[in-house]
Amino acid sequence: MTKTLNQILFNILALTFCLYINDVNADDIRIKINSGQVEPLPVAIADFTGNEGNSNQIGRQISEVISNNLVGSGQFKAVESAAFIAPPTSPSVRPNFTDWSPLGIKALVTGSVKNINNEEIEVEFRLWDVIAETDLIGLRLTVASKAWRRVAHIISDEIFERLSGDSGYFDTRIVYVSESGPQNKRVKRLAIMDQDGENHQYLTDGSFLVLTPRFSPTSQEITYLAYFKNEPRVYIFNLETGQQELLGSFPGMTFAPRFSPSGDKIIMSLAEKGITDIYTMNLNNQEVERLTNSNSIDTSPSYSPDASKIIFNSDRGGSQQIYIMDANGKNIKRISFGEGRYATPVWAPKGELIAFTKMHKNKFYIGVMAPDGSGERLLAEGYLVEGPTWAPNGRVLMYFKQDRPVDDGKSTNVNLYKIDITGFRETRIITPSDGSDPAWSPMLPN
Amino acid sequence: MVNSTIISIGLHISIIMIAYIGMPSIKTKDPIEQPIDIVDDTPISSQTSLKFGPSNEKEEDKNKKDVVKEEKITKLSPPPPPPPSKEIIDKKNNELKKQQEIKEIAELIKKKPKLNVEKKIVPKVVTKPNIIKSSTPPKTVTKPEQIQKKQKQNLAKGLLNTLSEVKNQNNERKKEEVNKTELLNKIKKMAGNSNRRADEKEIKLSITDINVIQNHITKFWKLSYAASEVDIIIPLKITTNTDGSVNSVNIYDKAEYLKNKFYRATADAARRAVLDSSPLPLPKGKEKKFQNFILDFDTSFINSY
Repeated sequence: MTKTLNQILFNILALTFCLYINDVNADDIRIKINSGQVEPLPVAIADFTGNEGNSNQIGRQISEVISNNLVGSGQFKAVESAAFIAPPTSPSVRPNFTDWSPLGIKALVTGSVKNINNEEIEVEFRLWDVIAETDLIGLRLTVASKAWRRVAHIISDEIFERLSGDSGYFDTRIVYVSESGPQNKRVKRLAIMDQDGENHQYLTDGSFLVLTPRFSPTSQEITYLAYFKNEPRVYIFNLETGQQELLGSFPGMTFAPRFSPSGDKIIMSLAEKGITDIYTMNLNNQEVERLTNSNSIDTSPSYSPDASKIIFNSDRGGSQQIYIMDANGKNIKRISFGEGRYATPVWAPKGELIAFTKMHKNKFYIGVMAPDGSGERLLAEGYLVEGPTWAPNGRVLMYFKQDRPVDDGKSTNVNLYKIDITGFRETRIITPSDGSDPAWSPMLPN
Repeated sequence: MVNSTIISIGLHISIIMIAYIGMPSIKTKDPIEQPIDIVDDTPISSQTSLKFGPSNEKEEDKNKKDVVKEEKITKLSPPPPPPPSKEIIDKKNNELKKQQEIKEIAELIKKKPKLNVEKKIVPKVVTKPNIIKSSTPPKTVTKPEQIQKKQKQNLAKGLLNTLSEVKNQNNERKKEEVNKTELLNKIKKMAGNSNRRADEKEIKLSITDINVIQNHITKFWKLSYAASEVDIIIPLKITTNTDGSVNSVNIYDKAEYLKNKFYRATADAARRAVLDSSPLPLPKGKEKKFQNFILDFDTSFINSY
């Protein structure tokens, strides 16, 4: 018995040894590359060729918008067209890659614009891998001539996604509060524009004060706070019809509204008799639910992407801090424990981060942290930086920044800025006048 | 005072006892010598025949015989027996022969400790002739015949049984050893070949050789910070020419490449890095080792950015 066991044990050991030897020799040499360069990828965006009339002009404009989008993301570096050896080619023609690779170009975009009739154009593009000498993606779109800019954004998203692996955010819009006039008589209007600042439009006339606009998940509605007839109330603005609707009738002041991820609820603060609590209102049946009940000020609520949690800020602990609770208002827990005060928490679209405003030692900061409060990182700072909003891919934040007042102490500039979450690249968004309280839309429906 | 003395003595005694029982070097008791007792039980009367019978011991191993005889003499020292008849002498001679043979075999079975015994006895062997010369024939101890027969049978049976068992055990052990050695030889052959093959590939490649290639490719691997979302390793199968130029780059996990947009973008970036870094700085004289090899691109480093 013992002999048999010994024999079996010996055979197992021998077999294991043989397998090990075979395994070791089964593979070729393996070399691990665990370092690289995180830097903008050099791309060439050739002017889209046109067949007739203004198509050449539109082609050039589309190329320019794509180039601005990609470079503005901080992940790409556009090579100047003056350096191109070969002329732009049609997307159906395979480029001569040896004309492009010496310029250090890794990816090439070629495209064309065709006039179908006076009102419609057909835009086609192709993305080439110059090093692997292969095409990566191609697309053909037929749109109204006036919508060429949006086509450029859609193409930008396709290129961005194919080269970075992340979703794009170029075909989106920004709603914000446009400010004008002196500080003591400030006119604040709702305005909307493309994410790059183009296609700017005012939504309200400035006859009443507006604050904190937020997009619905469909990007077709905006909820905001308006001081209509000096009564602060939450309203909903329909972008298709242009109609405004008062959201319910409450005894006190309602503010800081935000849509739930499904769009069927609005979560907001209601102040009454000096106490501010968080409420939700069902848009289908107008039912109101109270989520918090304390003697403190609970405000700036924001849902998690899966709608299971809510973050908000509250002074219930003595100073303004960020708290988290279940969607039904239970299990309230503080998550911010750094120095200073915390406000305006916003949950990232993918749920992995929370953006916030921080106030510490007479300075304001924009930062991010994990939903459990860990890993706090500050991305931007200034005399006043506030109101972060996420791009739909969760890689870029937009906020407004106010400079320190000069001379008379009254005149000051308030502008919109965006920054990627690495904090390396801060870009100002050009607006016709001052701007504050931006809100980034989800990806626009096709 | 008295009490402490008693306690001290008691403790000392207990320590000495523990040392005596516990330490093998102090306690000198050798149980291995037991088989010799079997020989002691044999009828001693036959020894007298040595005086008269023919000497058959020439062919045998003298040393071993002497050991047995010496012990017989020293332990028993019987009185000289009266001279027996020829028939009895022949009969007893034969019996003695048999017993001696058995004894010799038993001695052979004994293990290494015997060697020590032999060494000790060697000088006594010299005295053997003297003993024989000086000794008078021993007394014959008469035992009932039945008892004698039984004793002989039992003794022979026991020894033979033991011998047969030992033989069988020896055979099995030998077989096992042969099997093991054969298997080991086979494994050694395999291992030897494999090691040789491995040696051909690995021993010649130094860490510097690998580092040079790593550092070269690293310069060309350009990644988006979006890669920090997922820590993945992308293996690429590379074939090169002897001048270091990259012949082909194949992405291993085609399914993941088609399914996962992040994997696809990162794998494309890795492929560009390899193609862009061509020709690779292959170590001189070792180019053949890199005709086929694998590069594992690991994106985890981006987390540190």
